Amino acid sequence: MSKPDGTSYQKYLPRIDEESRGYWEALARHELHVQRCRDCGAKRFYPRALCPVCLSAATEWVRASGRGTVYTFTVTYQNQAPGYRDALPYVLAVVDLAEGVRLMTNVVDCAPEAVRIGMPVEVLFEDVTPEVSLPKFRPA
Amino acid sequence: MKDRVAVIGIGCTKFGDRFERSYEELICDAAFEAYDDAGIDPAQIEAAYLGTYLPGSGGGKAAVSLADALRLYDRPITRVENYCATGTDAFRNGCLAIAAGTYDMVLVLGAEKLKDRGGRGIPRLGHPLLARGNTAPGLFALAANRYIHTFGLRRETLAKVAVKNHRNGALNPKAHLRMEVTEEQVLKAPIIAWPFGLFDCCPTTDGAAAAIICRADLAKRFRKAPVLVKGAGLAVTSGRPYFDPTFDYLGFRSTQAAAQQAYAMAGIAPSDIDFAEVHDCFTWTEISNIEDLGFCPKGEGGRLEEEGQTALDGRLPINPSGGLKSFGHPIGASGVRMITECVVQLRGEAGKRQVKDPELGLAHNVGGPGAVSCVVVLGRG
Repeated sequence: MSKPDGTSYQKYLPRIDEESRGYWEALARHELHVQRCRDCGAKRFYPRALCPVCLSAATEWVRASGRGTVYTFTVTYQNQAPGYRDALPYVLAVVDLAEGVRLMTNVVDCAPEAVRIGMPVEVLFEDVTPEVSLPKFRPA
Repeated sequence: MKDRVAVIGIGCTKFGDRFERSYEELICDAAFEAYDDAGIDPAQIEAAYLGTYLPGSGGGKAAVSLADALRLYDRPITRVENYCATGTDAFRNGCLAIAAGTYDMVLVLGAEKLKDRGGRGIPRLGHPLLARGNTAPGLFALAANRYIHTFGLRRETLAKVAVKNHRNGALNPKAHLRMEVTEEQVLKAPIIAWPFGLFDCCPTTDGAAAAIICRADLAKRFRKAPVLVKGAGLAVTSGRPYFDPTFDYLGFRSTQAAAQQAYAMAGIAPSDIDFAEVHDCFTWTEISNIEDLGFCPKGEGGRLEEEGQTALDGRLPINPSGGLKSFGHPIGASGVRMITECVVQLRGEAGKRQVKDPELGLAHNVGGPGAVSCVVVLGRG
């Protein structure tokens, strides 16, 4: 798969399915969306068919603010998988969004040793293929 | 199930880089050692449970790897796979079959040959939707860093876990990394995923382990003093706990639940346990595990390690075998290997690493991380 600039993207690419299609389509527009249950109102991430609170299948996509805080993180120094080995060290982080959902991401645009638990972060979008953009976070 | 199932034979291969032995040979080495330990003929095995994450070549998603290796045909063999709890869960299933009265004698065997596969033996981790370069050390490191942030645990305390388990493993002829390490070596090793350095991580290992279990009322007719199964628990929670906003990352509820089941079945409290083999895939995991197993309150596991309470001669020896850290971690074999260590200790056959006069031992796996946990309590017969 080629990136927009023609180079190859070696890291994992998503398998876009019916449950996650809305998420990826929003990311391609550089918008971060999460699901909201149309019955109980609970927001959820990752995308899935049924509400984890009330099991309702009635779901809508809502745009998230893209602001959050780092709940925890690690700096990875060893990963020999293609793509990742050239990106070491990188920050793997768990971010709590202002909307109350949690996602796993990378904190970028800062030195790995500068990342702290509780640090405010905001979303940015990395275009990795013509179809796929990934949400990453940077210090806010 | 309490006191209705006995372990009458155990076998375990040398763990390590076993390039010279095939998957089938490792199975045979463990099984025939167990047959001999029990003094039984393989024909007496009525059913078998194979714990394996990656079966032998051509083995597929079935139990045929065990059938072909041991020529155990035309009998019920069930393959069990439950992340890193695979081995203990295979044992638990075998015990249930005996306790149900269906079989008198069952073979439980865990086997794994990881070193000659690519990717360090483990399939590439990570759901592309969810993962952003996570590795096994990285996922546990996410929890360790939150724990450090909450309780102020120091890397020096993590290092003490590695030093202790390597010291125990150095006494164990079958351990993979049979060497002592110093705290300074642990702290200065290359970082894998902060806060884990190389010596905070267990190795990738080949090996197999076996246990022969039978009806407790038949157990005394075999070669060795029987060890009784007192309780077993298995808890499966979400496979993606990371995305649950209520998950605090300070421990694993699957371990807490599985332990409670096992203690309730055995009719004991955590304080009754004399030693434990716990899932020290990383140094932090051992600290969190001993809390989740109820040996101390949350946040105090590091103090137990600091005070030497978990050493071989301490109040509660943890991982007298050397643990995953030193003994190694062939995924499906690990849990059965822990059972064999509990039996060796309860028989008083552990030599230089013998825990003083134990009555009750515990084996614990957690995998996922956190998604699944299995706990087994064994006692002197």
